[in-house]
Amino acid sequence: MADYLGEKVLAFSVFSAEKGSFALSDLTRKNKLWLWFCPRNGVTLIEVQQLSFHRGEKAIFSDLNLSIPKGKITAIMGPSGIGKTTLLKLIGGQLQPSAGQILFDGQDVHQLSRANLYKLRKRLGMLFQSGALFSDLNVFENVAFPLREHCQLPESVLRNLVLMKLHAVGLRGAAELMPNDLSGGMARRVALARAIALEPEVVLYDEPFVGQDPISMGVLVKLIATLGKSLNLTSVIVSHDVDEVMSIADHVFLIDQHRVLASGTVQQIRDSEDPRVQQFLQGLADGPVAFHYPAEDYLSALGGEQ
Amino acid sequence: MKVNKLELTVGGFVLLGLAALLVLSLKIADSQFSGDGPSYTLYARFDNIGGLKPRSPVKVGGVVVGRVEKIELDSDDFAPVVTLKMFERYGYFPETSSASILTAGLLGEQYIGLNPGFIMEDIESLEAGATIEDTKSALVLEELIGKVLFSLTEK
Amino acid sequence: MIQAISQLGASCLANIAALGRASMMLAQALWFIPTRKLLRDIVRQLYVVGVLSLPIILVSGLFIGMVIAFQGYSILVDFGAETSLGPMVALSLLRELGPVVTALLFAGRAGSALTAEIGLMKTTEQLSSMEMMAVDPLRRVIAPRFWAGVIAMPLLASMFNLVGIWGGFLVGVEWLGVDDGSFWSIMGASIEFGQDIGNGLIKSVVFALAVTWVALFNGYDARPSARGISQATTRSVVYASLLVLGLDFILTALMFGS
Repeated sequence: MADYLGEKVLAFSVFSAEKGSFALSDLTRKNKLWLWFCPRNGVTLIEVQQLSFHRGEKAIFSDLNLSIPKGKITAIMGPSGIGKTTLLKLIGGQLQPSAGQILFDGQDVHQLSRANLYKLRKRLGMLFQSGALFSDLNVFENVAFPLREHCQLPESVLRNLVLMKLHAVGLRGAAELMPNDLSGGMARRVALARAIALEPEVVLYDEPFVGQDPISMGVLVKLIATLGKSLNLTSVIVSHDVDEVMSIADHVFLIDQHRVLASGTVQQIRDSEDPRVQQFLQGLADGPVAFHYPAEDYLSALGGEQ
Repeated sequence: MKVNKLELTVGGFVLLGLAALLVLSLKIADSQFSGDGPSYTLYARFDNIGGLKPRSPVKVGGVVVGRVEKIELDSDDFAPVVTLKMFERYGYFPETSSASILTAGLLGEQYIGLNPGFIMEDIESLEAGATIEDTKSALVLEELIGKVLFSLTEK
Repeated sequence: MIQAISQLGASCLANIAALGRASMMLAQALWFIPTRKLLRDIVRQLYVVGVLSLPIILVSGLFIGMVIAFQGYSILVDFGAETSLGPMVALSLLRELGPVVTALLFAGRAGSALTAEIGLMKTTEQLSSMEMMAVDPLRRVIAPRFWAGVIAMPLLASMFNLVGIWGGFLVGVEWLGVDDGSFWSIMGASIEFGQDIGNGLIKSVVFALAVTWVALFNGYDARPSARGISQATTRSVVYASLLVLGLDFILTALMFGS
């Protein structure tokens, strides 16, 4: 797998270097060559089956079922604090579920040996909410990191590859900056360039839009959509920014109360008559999901003070 | 090849550390590697060795001519036998030499004082493996006090 | 009362579990075939934990050597044994103060930095993202820092000793007027390579293992928050120092007891 990946990256870089510039369409054409031995689009790539996860006493998920189709943008939405990030970490094999399984391309992620799990992770890219850039490496070295770790590339090829990735996210000019000098949106774009450095099949996005100004939000939305299409990526976006996510997702899962509340295409979700779905989509303060955290009776609590 | 500044600094650091260790071993703890040169072994029997320890010096007129290598007890007559490592560069001492256990200062460490005998035609020297016959034991303070008290009560 | 006992039991269990996690971390971090990349990383970390600790080690060594010479002289001169100042300074440094003080300073200077660095990397999800890039952070981050600590400490201790002895010489000979020749020769005669220098080295290697391990584990196990990092850093220095002193007692008893 590693060799195959190295060759693929190498072949791709030579291909693009000939063109002298990086174009997303090149990527598409190149990647289509690889499609013949991959399952066709729309086939389930990641399957979450009867997943349960507990943190201490508290149940985060119980009996969660999801299937994420290949080559599509899948959004997983839900209110804060329902463990969306946890779900991504479960998919990446960083956490162990208490019951159930996650199949990645038919392999049970949590039954894999260490070596196979690491192999599998090379097919995954993850964009962390914070960006999680290495703070003592500059932007260029951050993007180069996975390539240096996994492929023995000549320095010139590596440079080209990194610059291409940076160009794809529009930050080629920022290559020499340190992560501290970047704005939140730029940091996230660099992290995206790093996540796609190894040309993964799947990119997991953890809250990509949180805390972004409207412009960088728009940039990220466009990037995720175009990269997804052109690299034929399977994208999984975990978010609670309804409008942005709905604008690019092919398929949406709404999670609440430890399990899937609703799923379907964007239109199906919008048309849902479930009041909880509507409360979440429209952002109503009170509804089936109460405004108040469960507590004892207000009056008796106040009276109890004396 | 371009020399990496960081690697150079670290290399210097490691060298400095090893050099410090080397200086400690060779200069500060002298003898071991700088060596005492070739040596031969002598034995000496004492009645009492007091506080003598392995590595205590053997001195002739204050000059260190050897060291105590080990101290054993003769299983036949229960007398302590001291093995001495004598430096060859000071040559061999006559058979009539005597050894006594002395103390450096009032509280200092104990050492073996070697008193070379006269060198005469018919007296052989102490060859390697020979035993020094004429020995004086260490002064043990309690015994000394006991003797003094005894002689006082005699009067 | 029952509650107090159950709390004690719980904290005992938590500590045992932490020891287990720490051992697993170390085993995972070190159990692999070294690569050239690891060597390069060790060199980089040697700079951070070794070279950057050098000034504090050298300055402390000098002062401690000078202080021992002062104190030793004022005691020894009463017995007319001030010529034994040399061995006194050298032996206290080689056997005890060199390894111990170096380890304590190292825990404060390099250990706390390691803990904070790794804790911060964990808090900002750098370790997690490394894992998702199929790079094992234990091998990539923990292992080189561990080896660098283990290599650096004995070297630092040796330099500390040498500078300390020189400091003792400055005060004893240059200032208090102990005889130059007897200072060095009696020192030389009373130090044995295996007994003093060798045991001192063994001590500092053991302390290096302990301090680096504690520092790395506390960073790796830190709660991912600002408070968590500050607590982990404090814990790292406190635990490492206590461990060094405790181990020193055990090692001294084993080495010089009989």
